[in-house]
Amino acid sequence: MTKYSFYIKLFRLSWQSLRSNVFRSFLTTLGIIIGAATIIIVVALGEGAKRDIEAQYSNMSVTTILINGPSTEGSQSKLSVDDIPAIQAISTVSDAVPMLTGKVNISTANNTASFNVVGTYPNFSDVANLTYERGGFFDQTDEDDHTKVVILGATVAEEIYGTRNPDVLGQSIVLGKKEFEIVGIAKYKGGAFGPISIDESVFTPYSSSYRYILGKNGKFSFNVNAQSVDLLEETMSSLTKVLREEHKIAANTPEDFKLKDMGATVASAQGSSQTMAILLGAVGFIVLLVGGIGIMNIMYVTVSERTKEIGIRKAIGAKDNHVLTQFLFEAFILTGVGYLIGTISSIGIYFILLSLGVKIVFVWWSLVLSFIITFTVGMFFGYYPAKKAAALDPIDALRYE
Amino acid sequence: MPVITLTSVKKSYFIKNIEYPILKGINLTVNKGEFVALMGPSGSGKSTLLNIIGGLDKSTEGKYIINEKLVSNLSSDELADIRNIYIGFIFQNFNLIPTLSTLDNVALPSFYSGDVNYKKAEELLSMVGLSDRLSNKPNELSGGQRQRVAIARSLINDPEFILADEPTGNLDSKTGEEIMKLIVSLKKDYGKTILMVTHDPHLAKLTDRIIYLKDGYITKKKNV
Repeated sequence: MTKYSFYIKLFRLSWQSLRSNVFRSFLTTLGIIIGAATIIIVVALGEGAKRDIEAQYSNMSVTTILINGPSTEGSQSKLSVDDIPAIQAISTVSDAVPMLTGKVNISTANNTASFNVVGTYPNFSDVANLTYERGGFFDQTDEDDHTKVVILGATVAEEIYGTRNPDVLGQSIVLGKKEFEIVGIAKYKGGAFGPISIDESVFTPYSSSYRYILGKNGKFSFNVNAQSVDLLEETMSSLTKVLREEHKIAANTPEDFKLKDMGATVASAQGSSQTMAILLGAVGFIVLLVGGIGIMNIMYVTVSERTKEIGIRKAIGAKDNHVLTQFLFEAFILTGVGYLIGTISSIGIYFILLSLGVKIVFVWWSLVLSFIITFTVGMFFGYYPAKKAAALDPIDALRYE
Repeated sequence: MPVITLTSVKKSYFIKNIEYPILKGINLTVNKGEFVALMGPSGSGKSTLLNIIGGLDKSTEGKYIINEKLVSNLSSDELADIRNIYIGFIFQNFNLIPTLSTLDNVALPSFYSGDVNYKKAEELLSMVGLSDRLSNKPNELSGGQRQRVAIARSLINDPEFILADEPTGNLDSKTGEEIMKLIVSLKKDYGKTILMVTHDPHLAKLTDRIIYLKDGYITKKKNV
């Protein structure tokens, strides 16, 4: 008989021994089941959070600096389009896009919805990298003449016309109280651009949005890009200096504007999602560790309970190694079954979370990770009881009742 | 031809460096095909001698030879092989493994010798009259049936000799008689060498020779 089929036989013996006490075997492996499932789910949650952040900031460039008015109520900011010449005069600035934003009711003959209106300059289209289903962006003439033209974001088009690509160029639509002419439908983009979601906004010339829709109720901000990441800090300090001068703010007086470095924002968001993932991963590992200790405990009990059996096996010729292998096989089977049940449960939990709207993305390598950790823990903790069983003296073991 | 030869075998236990001698010099020979009874009061060293002959324990001094093979001074793995291949054990309390079927229990020693032989296990079970109980667990059998299974198991690896430790001690007298008949037939019909420990002089009379052990010495040898 070959060595190979010998181990198959030994494996079968281990299996029989576990099957003779199914409930206890299940309890033994419960920790492994929960641990394996936790690792898979945690990795999927981490990946979901990561993808979510990536999507949110996908249109952001690391060279972007956002300039807002201060959030404190009452303090009037002087931030306005009048600052543009001074900002563009800074040598390290590649572009500056003004945005006046606010909620507006959008209505057609058939439909009404509330979305963001963004009053901006023609360079927005290039800076935000917009592409179009139909038509295009407005131009400088529209801005100069405060023409009532509008470009619809994909979600807005879908909400109002039922499709992302409605044949409505040249038709009019009511923004607030004024009729605007639709000149462009933007393609679906996903993610945000500064403070706004592109797909959930409509775009008009800055001058028109101020005059006809938002007036002083709009929130004003700039989206400024530095020429490179290295020039970011220099650009930020230049911006602060220039804007203080423009707004005639005395020394030691707080600024009426705020700068936000998007690169740092993205990095910190990614960092916190990673921290979260590591934290959850640690929880999974601890659960597995406890599971492993569970296996060890029950296997120690098993070894004591089966002392007599081990004695019989040794008396009729089992070597230490045979006993060791049998108990290791039992640990292996417990771990393997625990891993399988854990994996299947995790798939169930995954779909439940998905249906609850939790952002979760399954990653195949989590199976490998949980496999490696589960088996390392299971075999590590299975080894000591197995070693103890193998080292039993046959005479003492036989006498044991 | 001797199957078992013990020459000046001594065994002592040491507790805190104090020597407690149990066997004080045993000389014993069992020839092939012999059926020998070992008798003696408790405390005589009977169990210790049995453990040494059974390869479960090692002597402190002296030589133990099974069929020209020197057994004293073997490693514990080598002793496991001796127990597996040279010796068939029959215990007072049967010592079957409760989670395994009758057939698995009988085949188990062949399994550790690396030569799994279920066919022979079946033959042996039918020889002891249990061919209809192959898949039963030990707790589904009567005491007599369990001892029959143990006898079948002791024969699976075709051992040099059978070591029976009070084989009828846990059985009622009628069942005990049946089991004794079976053991006697192992010698008579199959030519097996048997060493049996017993308290019962009536059982001892069924053997070829009785050895008495007292205070660590063999005191009397009597031909029946």
